[in-house]
Amino acid sequence: MSELLEVVRYREVLWNLVRRNLKVRYKNSILGFAWSLLNPLMQIGVWYFVFKILFGRDEPNFMALLVTGFLPWLFFSQTVLDSTACVTQEMALVKKAYFPRTILPLSVLLSNLIHLAFAFIVLLALYAVWGVDVTIYYLWVIPATLLVAVFAYGLSAMLAAWSVFYADVRFIIGNLIGLWFFLTPVLYPVYHVLKGSLKNPDNVVEIFLSAHLEPLKKVFMLDPLTIGVESYRSALLYGGENFIKIQVTPAMTELEQANALALQEGLRADYPLLPYILGAVAIAVATAIIGQWVFQRKAESFAEQG
Amino acid sequence: MSAIEADSIWKEYRRPHVRATTFKEAALALLRGQRGYDEFWALQDVSFTVEQGEAIGLVGPNGSGKSTMLGILARVLRPTRGAVEVTGRVCPLLELGTGFHPDLTGRENVFLNASLLGSGHRQTAARYGDIVDFAELSDFMDAPVKTYSTGMVIRLGFSIAIHMEPDILLIDEVLGVGDEHFQHKSYARLAEFKRAGKTLFVVSHSLTGITTVCDRAIWLDRGHIVTDGDADEVVRQYHDAVIAWEQSLAEAKARDASAS
Repeated sequence: MSELLEVVRYREVLWNLVRRNLKVRYKNSILGFAWSLLNPLMQIGVWYFVFKILFGRDEPNFMALLVTGFLPWLFFSQTVLDSTACVTQEMALVKKAYFPRTILPLSVLLSNLIHLAFAFIVLLALYAVWGVDVTIYYLWVIPATLLVAVFAYGLSAMLAAWSVFYADVRFIIGNLIGLWFFLTPVLYPVYHVLKGSLKNPDNVVEIFLSAHLEPLKKVFMLDPLTIGVESYRSALLYGGENFIKIQVTPAMTELEQANALALQEGLRADYPLLPYILGAVAIAVATAIIGQWVFQRKAESFAEQG
Repeated sequence: MSAIEADSIWKEYRRPHVRATTFKEAALALLRGQRGYDEFWALQDVSFTVEQGEAIGLVGPNGSGKSTMLGILARVLRPTRGAVEVTGRVCPLLELGTGFHPDLTGRENVFLNASLLGSGHRQTAARYGDIVDFAELSDFMDAPVKTYSTGMVIRLGFSIAIHMEPDILLIDEVLGVGDEHFQHKSYARLAEFKRAGKTLFVVSHSLTGITTVCDRAIWLDRGHIVTDGDADEVVRQYHDAVIAWEQSLAEAKARDASAS
């Protein structure tokens, strides 16, 4: 609590570090700040090439669903990855000046929130091209972002503190984030996992997964990222509708449409959203509290390291 | 009223035998039951009180704990035992231009550095003109700091620090920087600072710097206070002790040479 008051007292340092990070990031590049917009746009170009052209995915709205879900994921993964260097990079400051150390992971979070805002501008431009309607449900993006931010901050604080003492953390996290990406419904909608089952499990991993499939699906639904990513889609694309949603297209036969709707209703009944959302919020808040506790305990000896 | 009260400060550092930086090394060390580090007490039971308006210097050889003591006063380090009570706004000057980024302009760095010394944006903006004037860098403030000479960086860093108007100024080894002219200005500014009733706490190897600026001095040796008193007197004792020690070294060497 007293740390929070200190952060408020030293907020000037926080703003200055964020401003410095943004300014220095694109120094020596010709396009400068335009990269904040070009980066997400080029990333989307890569997705388009891989999924639309190479894999020929032709579900309706495929690109819109992908890009919308990718935004909160990018924000989360970048924050967590940046955090592993945030204390070690600023060791010169840590050894020579007092300021509440919490400012370091906070500056990473804030910088990435600003990048998210830039990416959002790109997204809105694409929506205009794709003909996606602007609705009042867009506002749900705010609590969804907050959920992801709180969760990301908790992990960041913890990882920032540990990476001061163990350089290994950075490498482990780099790979774990890669795995986490596929465990988060960015490339696929959430119902794919919820309806999924494993046929003929024939090795240790598959046997384990199929034996614990139902509880694992619950864990998947409690992941703040699952909730965050799908809430973005619900807010921006589904008009606030339940995000366990199967796209129905005119190309489907009537029977296929009815089956899809029946499956959707069944899954919605099996996985009522409210408890999962509350659970994800609780997990995010608990992570932030534990992360902050670990960080503050370790922060006392930062200046004595290396 | 006292500005600084240090009550029985102890500071322990752990010096690892072989720095264990990876999980594997740490795990192996644990398995072998090694403690993995030596204890080293940088400060042992150091107590002193500094009254408001006093200018006090810390002298002693390398490794005597001077910078550790200053780090504790600046809140960068935490004492292992004991407590420090500081009354008033502290401006810790452990390094000139802390946080200066080479790609940012002089102006941007002034605001960054000043915020690290505890100054808000508006306060810094109000003092900005004075800072630039004192550093004599008004033509260079929009150029990136990487284009500055060492002397320019030092002048800007020092100028920011002395314009922060703290109640207590902590200075580590940055007395007498810059050219002759800038040194005169700096000493004059510190004298002004003292007349205004502010507290100065200086660590320096420059004994003349200490006697010029300080009224009182503390001589630290291997984490203990040797003497604490009038600056000229303490500096003289410390200087004599160093000379005596050097003589004994020379004599021992001469004995060794004649013995062999």
